[in-house]
Amino acid sequence: MFRQLFRKHEFFIAIILIVISLTIGLINPRFFSLANVFSLLRRATIMGIFSMGVLIVLISGGIDVSFTGIAIFSMYTTVSILVARDFQGSIFLPFIISGLLGLILGLINGVIIGVFKLPTLIVTLGTLSLYRGAMLFFVGSNYYNQAELPVAIKEFARASVFTVETSSGKTGLHPTFFILAFLGFIVWYVLKYTMLGRSFYAMGGDRESAERAGFNILRTQLIIYGFAGLLSGIGGMIVGALFRQANPFSIVGTELDIIAAAVLGGASIAGGRGSVIGTLLGVVLITIAKNSLVLLGIPSEWQRVIVGFFILLGTAIPMVQSLVVQRRLAMQRDEIPVTS
Amino acid sequence: MKRILVAVLLLGLLLSACSPAAPAEKPVEEYVMATVVKLTGVGWFDRMEEGVADFDAAYDYVEAFQQGPSQADAALQVQVLEDLLAQGVDSLCVIPFQPEAVEPVLQRAREEGVVVISHEASNQQNIDFDIEAFDNAAYGRHLMDHLAEMMGEEGEYVVFVGSLTSTTHNEWIDAAIAHQLENYPNMMMVGDKNESYDDAQTAYERGRELLVAFPDLKGMQGSSANDVVGFGQAVEEAGLQDEIAVVGTSLASMSGALVETGAVDLISFWDPAMAGYACNEIALLVLQGETPADGLSLDLPGYESLTLIGKVFYGQAWVDVTLDNLADWDF
Repeated sequence: MFRQLFRKHEFFIAIILIVISLTIGLINPRFFSLANVFSLLRRATIMGIFSMGVLIVLISGGIDVSFTGIAIFSMYTTVSILVARDFQGSIFLPFIISGLLGLILGLINGVIIGVFKLPTLIVTLGTLSLYRGAMLFFVGSNYYNQAELPVAIKEFARASVFTVETSSGKTGLHPTFFILAFLGFIVWYVLKYTMLGRSFYAMGGDRESAERAGFNILRTQLIIYGFAGLLSGIGGMIVGALFRQANPFSIVGTELDIIAAAVLGGASIAGGRGSVIGTLLGVVLITIAKNSLVLLGIPSEWQRVIVGFFILLGTAIPMVQSLVVQRRLAMQRDEIPVTS
Repeated sequence: MKRILVAVLLLGLLLSACSPAAPAEKPVEEYVMATVVKLTGVGWFDRMEEGVADFDAAYDYVEAFQQGPSQADAALQVQVLEDLLAQGVDSLCVIPFQPEAVEPVLQRAREEGVVVISHEASNQQNIDFDIEAFDNAAYGRHLMDHLAEMMGEEGEYVVFVGSLTSTTHNEWIDAAIAHQLENYPNMMMVGDKNESYDDAQTAYERGRELLVAFPDLKGMQGSSANDVVGFGQAVEEAGLQDEIAVVGTSLASMSGALVETGAVDLISFWDPAMAGYACNEIALLVLQGETPADGLSLDLPGYESLTLIGKVFYGQAWVDVTLDNLADWDF
């Protein structure tokens, strides 16, 4: 039982998470206050939604850096359209429009990657810049502030599921947390129980074999990048709504943190490995590392150093662990006499 | 050509030796005065253009206008300046995107006899004068005075800068902290200078964290225009509008909604229209042969008594906006 757990990457991430949380909590007990837990969850939600798209792309052996470009394009374009039309309706329409725009841009990625068989990093680096540039040029570069946003978006920003009065003011859990929980469940289910999910792993493990085994690579890639685009569109809209502004220069630049979270959670850059639980643990770990430095009383100059240190620590320990496991496996293999 | 005429004429008048019959066909000179901004099409410089237009309307012998690149790019701004020099202007009022990048073209302008006044560039070299809306330290102290008043001169406060490397922000905040230590002994800064990276999202996240870390927090002083926006949202969500005083540099268009809910209590900025007007006013004085000196008074709010240090004129032209006068400002 324990040996099995020891081999699980997620187990190690969870241990590191608990150790870090306890350490921070010992230094400053307010770390465990409801206000802090809810605000950490709120921040982790945004990263979490993007990380689900990043995860399936990584599993399939690709790497997508354009998702922040898709997110800002979808969100900013949606807000521009709604503001121009003086939109008064509910919050669902903005999410639908933004999600659809994301889906379209993701499919463009998928077509370029699948049809022309180009390296995913190069393609998405190109489209990251292309999507953002197209948005700044064709849609605009003005900042929409709180007063200009549709009412539904402003109300959504203030929404809260359980509101609790604490010593440091009111606090509550934002409903976007449930969007993440829902999307996370879907991705988990698809990866674990469907043939589609198997095809992602198969492609990432060995593309050639997957193709020979009868998986339609082009179709799978369209699904992967389309879905990643859809998630980016939704994630982008959540950023706009939670921060009550449409700033065309935001979001882009955070892609590496999110990819790091997925890798930290056990997804392999080489493809074929990765899980929803691991990725979400990685997201929480990075969120805590980045957002507890004031609680720890670390001077501003040192904060970036500490974040880098946390990421290195978080990736190094599981790496060492997997090396140990591999070595043990290799030793076991050597001991087994070769037959046939 | 016109410039040479002007120069000759002025020299003549100064020496009082010239015959009064000199260029009789052109008795009143028309000065062509250009204002070159960092970027066109943004709220800040659109507002400045209003000031330049007012200046143009105020003097019938002056043709004043504003130009600038459509992208925030140092090379494009140099191009605009070169084009204006080729067209022949009498004065340039320049808000450089990158002060060092425009030095060569400003040097050429001055060699050609063009009067050069800069704004937001107190270390510019090739200029006649620079005009700043205020002295950075005085502005920092001014904001601290408001913060102290709202906090009842006691309690914990936090400060924000756009980045630890942004000079003006740190000058404001350092002066404010020194002022507090000297005059408001019951107030205490908690934590370090917080960085927002000029981003409301980061300011918001830092704000939520600070509210947890310091439950007795009573005040906040921001520096970048986004600091009070993000921090104000965090305060509003926590329902602490009445407990925490939030003051800082921002614009009514950016934080107006938060001023209305009381999450942000006071924002301060300088009016670019006034700055554009003042910049051209000084250029005109130089063109007319006067030597502006310390104590110079322009007929503009905040620029009534300018302090001259080196080549730099400082006003006291900050504008404070609270709930009471929010409606007067639309940029």
